[in-house]
Amino acid sequence: MKILIVDDEQDVEIMFLQKFRREIKSKLLEVEFAFSGEQALEMLGRFGSPDVVYVFSDINMPGMSGLELLENIKTKFPHIQVSMISAYGDRENYNKAIKSGAKGFFTKPVDFESLKNEIAELLTNK
Amino acid sequence: MIFINLISLFLLFYLKKNPGPTPLPEEIQKLFKWGMITAGVLIALGISNLPPQILYELISFVLVGAIIYLILNTPELEVQKNMAITPLPILGVQLLKYVVKTISVSTYENIENYLDAAGFFALIWAVTMWLNHRKQMKEIEIERIISKEQERQLRATAEQKNQLEVLVAERTSEILQQKEELQEALNHLKDTQEQLIQQEKLASLGQLTAGIAHEIKNPLNFVNNFSELSVDFIEEIEDEMTKIADCPEKENILELLEDVKSNLGKIRHHGSRADSIVKSMLLHSRGGTGTKEPTDLNGLIREYANLAFHGMRANPNPINVDIQLKLEEQLAKINLNSEDFSRVILNLVKNAFDAMREKIVKEGGEYKAKVEIRTQDLGDKVLIEVEDNGPGVPDDIRDKLLMPFFTTKKGTEGTGLGLSITHDIIQSHEGTLEIESKVGEFTRFSIVLPKSNP
Repeated sequence: MKILIVDDEQDVEIMFLQKFRREIKSKLLEVEFAFSGEQALEMLGRFGSPDVVYVFSDINMPGMSGLELLENIKTKFPHIQVSMISAYGDRENYNKAIKSGAKGFFTKPVDFESLKNEIAELLTNK
Repeated sequence: MIFINLISLFLLFYLKKNPGPTPLPEEIQKLFKWGMITAGVLIALGISNLPPQILYELISFVLVGAIIYLILNTPELEVQKNMAITPLPILGVQLLKYVVKTISVSTYENIENYLDAAGFFALIWAVTMWLNHRKQMKEIEIERIISKEQERQLRATAEQKNQLEVLVAERTSEILQQKEELQEALNHLKDTQEQLIQQEKLASLGQLTAGIAHEIKNPLNFVNNFSELSVDFIEEIEDEMTKIADCPEKENILELLEDVKSNLGKIRHHGSRADSIVKSMLLHSRGGTGTKEPTDLNGLIREYANLAFHGMRANPNPINVDIQLKLEEQLAKINLNSEDFSRVILNLVKNAFDAMREKIVKEGGEYKAKVEIRTQDLGDKVLIEVEDNGPGVPDDIRDKLLMPFFTTKKGTEGTGLGLSITHDIIQSHEGTLEIESKVGEFTRFSIVLPKSNP
């Protein structure tokens, strides 16, 4: 199963790779990274939608924001699940995200346990 | 001889009518009256020709002499002295006639013509004198009137001057009062200006604080996440190490790993400290994002004062505190962001606890720590007071209390953001926060909130 992480902070990639080292090693999980909303859409178009099942996106990014990306994905690839990750757990962003069809809303620092649970749920449902 | 008495009568009459500038004493007026009656009687007697000639004439002379004597010897009649002199020649001639006639009638008849002529001249002299005297009297009268008028004018001027002085005094006091009022207004303005500057400073500091927090939050997250991850990895490594046969090198490696793990723990610990500061800082930018709903203020105060108390008791260094709630019953619900505002109550009560703890440490057993929380309905506003009997706040740091990162607490105890955030939250409710304190006695935080803030 392939998931896509979108964040303008490059170190996020290393962090995720380390965090899900075991799952990746055992090929249970495949993780792709995009460092902007535009890049994420481009990658989704290239891989084809059946490949990627879940997108985790930061909200505050230069260029296309996470919320815009969410709307784009929901119109172009309606079956892909999207969750938002934001540094600020403010109500306004949360409401917008949920309204636009986000599955979950995580605040930074990311609680990796709940993220793992979320992904584990996906894996079992597959 | 009736003529002499006519002169007497005329003199008395004239003096009575024109007494001169000073009024005459009563006795003299009485004398005048009697003199006039006597003169009248003598005239009547003279006409009737009843009494003996010599006696009658003698009495007439005595009367006119007495009148002249009176005029000359009365100070009030000083100006009328000429009146006494006027008839003197006539009287002299008459007296001479009388004396000559009495001594020798023949001599009298010889010189009668001369005597008549002298009488005539005396009469002319008297008339002239009298006219002159009248003129003088008139002049004196005019002078008197002029001086009276001048006096009157002087008096009027003095009175006017007094009135003016009173007016000037009134105006002066008015102006002084206005000056004081203006001074007061100016002071008030200055205070307000200072407060505004202070508020502006606080607001920009708050924004700055929030801005810094935004920038720090992401790198700090990495620090925390990576240190956490590394701890996980070291634990994994330790697991793997159990599979390797024991040797001195392995022991050394395990020891080092243990140190690295502990260091990572330290990084994680201080990272989370920094994170909690950053979270507090971010609250500065949160103003106005929450929703305000009609809230039972008394209920909120009860709940969070209680929470603060139990939180304090559960933490290290608990103290004994008497918490008194004096809440205005029947307080209508107030539009509040209850999540934010509960923080205000928590912060103020916690601050009071911390301050009183210091005093307990310093003063020992005698001191009884007490926090009083009051609410009061002020019509369209509501007053909330949190007062402790702790060490108080010295004047020189009172202004700094609301600045971000200002703290009197030692080491890691306070972030210096509590009151700063409290102030921000109260401002976002359109309220005001005032601090009153007396060192060694009390500190009182007074919040005034409008009941219907938007």
